[in-house]
This record gives sequence, structure tokens and C-alpha cells, in this order.
Amino acid sequence: MTALPALELEHASYRYGDLWVLRDLTLSLRAGETLVVTGENGVGKSTLLYVCAGLVPATGGRVRLMGRVPNPSRPSELVHHGVRRGFVFSGGGLLSNTSALGNVTLPLRYHADLFGMDEEAIEARARELLSELRVSQADFHALPAHLSAGVRRRVSLARALAVSPNFLFLDDPEADLDSATKRLVYELLERFRNDPEVTLVVATTSPELIERLGVPPRELAHGYLLGPGRSLSTLGPPAKC
Amino acid sequence: MSTSQDPLRPPRSTLPYDPRAEYRRRLGLLGSVGRSAIGTARSAAALLGTLGLAVASVGAPGAGARRIVRAVTLGQILFTGVQAVGLVSAIGLLIGATLVIQTSLMVPAADGDLLGKILVAVVLRELSPLITAIIVAGRSGTAIATELGNMKVHQEVLALVALGVDPPRFIVLPRLIATVLSVVALMVYFSVVAVLATALIANVVLGPSPVELRAGIARALLPYDLVLFVAKGVGLGAIVGWLACHYGLSVKSSPTEVPQKASAAVVRILLGCVAYDTALTALFYWLVARPLY
Repeated sequence: MTALPALELEHASYRYGDLWVLRDLTLSLRAGETLVVTGENGVGKSTLLYVCAGLVPATGGRVRLMGRVPNPSRPSELVHHGVRRGFVFSGGGLLSNTSALGNVTLPLRYHADLFGMDEEAIEARARELLSELRVSQADFHALPAHLSAGVRRRVSLARALAVSPNFLFLDDPEADLDSATKRLVYELLERFRNDPEVTLVVATTSPELIERLGVPPRELAHGYLLGPGRSLSTLGPPAKC
Repeated sequence: MSTSQDPLRPPRSTLPYDPRAEYRRRLGLLGSVGRSAIGTARSAAALLGTLGLAVASVGAPGAGARRIVRAVTLGQILFTGVQAVGLVSAIGLLIGATLVIQTSLMVPAADGDLLGKILVAVVLRELSPLITAIIVAGRSGTAIATELGNMKVHQEVLALVALGVDPPRFIVLPRLIATVLSVVALMVYFSVVAVLATALIANVVLGPSPVELRAGIARALLPYDLVLFVAKGVGLGAIVGWLACHYGLSVKSSPTEVPQKASAAVVRILLGCVAYDTALTALFYWLVARPLY
């Protein structure tokens, strides 16, 4: 009996108003697999990540995470069924009225009874993660607006890792980062790429990151996800609709 | 290449050729009206969904979630209720003064009985709920809609979904509870301030003593007034919190939408509050209670 795919898209589509950004996507990832998505700016890579992670409902088709259809109005249901998502947004996505430490502890406190952690353990775990990602203690209680872009990205990563995710989605993880933070991000991604428990989906335009991950990227073009190793430049002009 | 998902709407292509212009030309008036009706129905469903999901999350499990929601609610009560006391005090005083001035112009010999009836009918039953709701809508309604709109723009709501935090429970419910409790409490406070102001100024301008005024108020009050008072407070508070959250969360991704939605929220809140207030007044006093006079 074959195991359920960890992430499954069945003829999934998405549009903003009348603009179809994703068309008829079908893909399946097993637990521990890695998907790298690339493509031009504005082609819909972030949207693809949102749909894959179940953050937005697909306009058409179906998305499943560990066999469950995500409900963006009740995301806690997925957590109760063992689906733990970590998402790093390209713009950070940190809660602006909550400190760095508060952002990292939020998912742990919200699901404290599920994770079996008390307040002390939650705070210790958050501090440990922030320290591991080299966020200075002086920044723990700062609001995101008072942090640099690089530190915000590290806090965002720490928050994504706080729940020990089995799905990790990263949108342009290396953008606007200094070289030290980039190295940190690359090391983390290599670790998760090799983790059989974590399904990794990365959207990137960085040739260096693609090379480090060592996974053939799939290009998103005109709403379609091309096969590994294929790119728009190798196809002819698109047909008129 | 697959065909469009929606057979009624051809895809908008990223290529120069756009088939939508031809589609709109062929749709005609009837089709446009029908599409408009469908859009209105969808908007109404979304509006009800915002309230329904928040209310449904009241009994949801999770002690950790409940603790967080409680903390957020207390913060919202502080901002919406406690910090509005100064403004409510000022307006209550001025309303009381205006009432006495107008009464003295129209009925110079007004006694405690007449003044009591006017206070009950005008201030306690109508002005207190409406003005309190307007104050809360102006202060907190705009702030809530703006805050939530900015959260949408900066992907904070998406981040909450990714973390497994339910947006209706974490965002909408605390604000809904806070606006309901704050409006009811502020209504009581507004009424007390307005009555005290009226009593003090009327004693100087018109003559009736505070004791006479108190007796006049007691004679004018009906048993149904308490029910109406609470029903108006709860309903008006719910309208403020509900619509402010809905319009704030309806922002898509553009920062320019935030002030537009905040403005739309306040306009609709005011309309909704006046309509609700009028409907409740009609229901209770024309259909249920015996005539006032």
C-alpha cells in the first residue's frame, strides 16, 4: 500500500480577479521531497506557494496536505491532524504590533496544549531558536519595524521553525540578506532538504541557492509549471487563447 | 494548454489579445444586471461569514488559544472602552446642556415631570445608544478597519493561517466582544453624565430640583426600557465590531485600499446603526409597549 503523498495538487488553479495566475497544476510530493520553483518576477511563484501551503483556497481544483484539504478560516484543524506548516514570506509577514520574541512564541502558545508545553518551555524554545539564528538578545523585545530586513528574516525563520514543521515553504529566502545570513539560510535549507520528515518547497530566482539545493528547479511560466529542466526559452511562443 | 476554468468568463491573457472586451459587448443589460445581483449575493454571504465564523469560534477547543484571545480582548476593551471615557464625558455634558437650553426656549415653565419625560425619550432611549455607537465607530471602527487592512497588506493574516492560528478567533472575536461590551458600558456612562449635566443646569435655568427631576425620570421609565437599552447596546456594538473587521479584512493587497475600506466601513457602520436603532425603536414601542403618553 503506497503512502499518502504529503502535498498534492490536483488540477489546481488560481486567479486574481480575471487574471489566471495558476492554471491546471497537478503535482505530488512525498514526505521529505523538495520542490524548487523558479521563474520571472511577477509570474506567480509566491501565489503558488500560498496555494500549496493552503493559505489561500484554490480557485479551481484541489490541494491536500497529508490527505487533508486546508481551510484558511480554520487552520488549527490541520495542526490538530498533525500538519505543521512553516512559512517564510518574502516580506517577512511578522505581526507588526508584537515583538520578535512574541512572534516566535505565538504559535506555540496558541497550540500549547497540543504541543504539551508550558509558558516557561515555550519561552525557552523561542529564545533558543532566535539565538541559533543569531538574533541579538537586544532585539528579542523589539517590534519588527525597529529591526533590519536581515534580522526580520531571521525572526521569520525562527517562527517558521518553532512548531517543528513537517512542511516548510520559503518565498525568496535569500533576498535582501547579507552574506552571513545567506550562509545561515543555505545551511538550514540543506539540513531540511536531507530531512525525510520535512517536505520543502522553495521559490527562488537565485542560481546560487538552486545549485546549493541540488534539486532540478521547475519554472513557472504563464500559469503552468514546466517539467524539471525545462524552461520558457526552450518552448515556442504561446498559442493565442 | 488547458481551457479556462470558468466557461462563462474567458481568461484574461498575459498576451496582447484580450477577449474580455468582446465578451462584455455581448453580455448586454440583462446579463450585467444578473452578474451584479450575483456579486451582491456573494458580498452578503461574505459579510455574514465574517460574523458567523467569529461566533462559531467561541466554543472552540484549546486552552492556549483561549488565553491568547482573552488577552487580546482585554487590550481591545482598554482601547475601545476605557480610552473613550473622556470623549463620552464631554459629549454627554454638552448634550445635557443643549437639552436644557432647547427645553427652556420651548417650554420655559418645564417642571421635573416634563423634563424627565424628555430625558428618557430623547437621551436614554435614542441619543445615548446612537451617539455612543457613533463615537465608538469613529474612534475604534476606523482604527480596527485600518489595522486589519494593514495586516492584510503586510501578509500578517496569511502568516497567522500558516501558523495554524484561526483568524476569526484571534482577530475578529476579540474586537467583536470588545465593541459590544464597550458600547453597552459607555451607553450607561453617557446616560449618567447627560442626566447629571441636565440636572445641574436645569436647576439653575429652569427651576426643577434634582430630586424632582429624578422623580420625573422614574415616572417616565417603562419596564421595557431596560430590555431596549441592552438590545440596542449589544446590537450597535456588534454592528461596529463586525463591519469594521469585515471591511478591514476585505483589503486585498494594495495599501491604497486601506483608507478606502476604512472609510467604507465607517459609512456602512453609521447607516447600519441608525437603521438598527430605528427598527428596534419601532418594534418595541409601536408593536410591543403601551403608548408613552
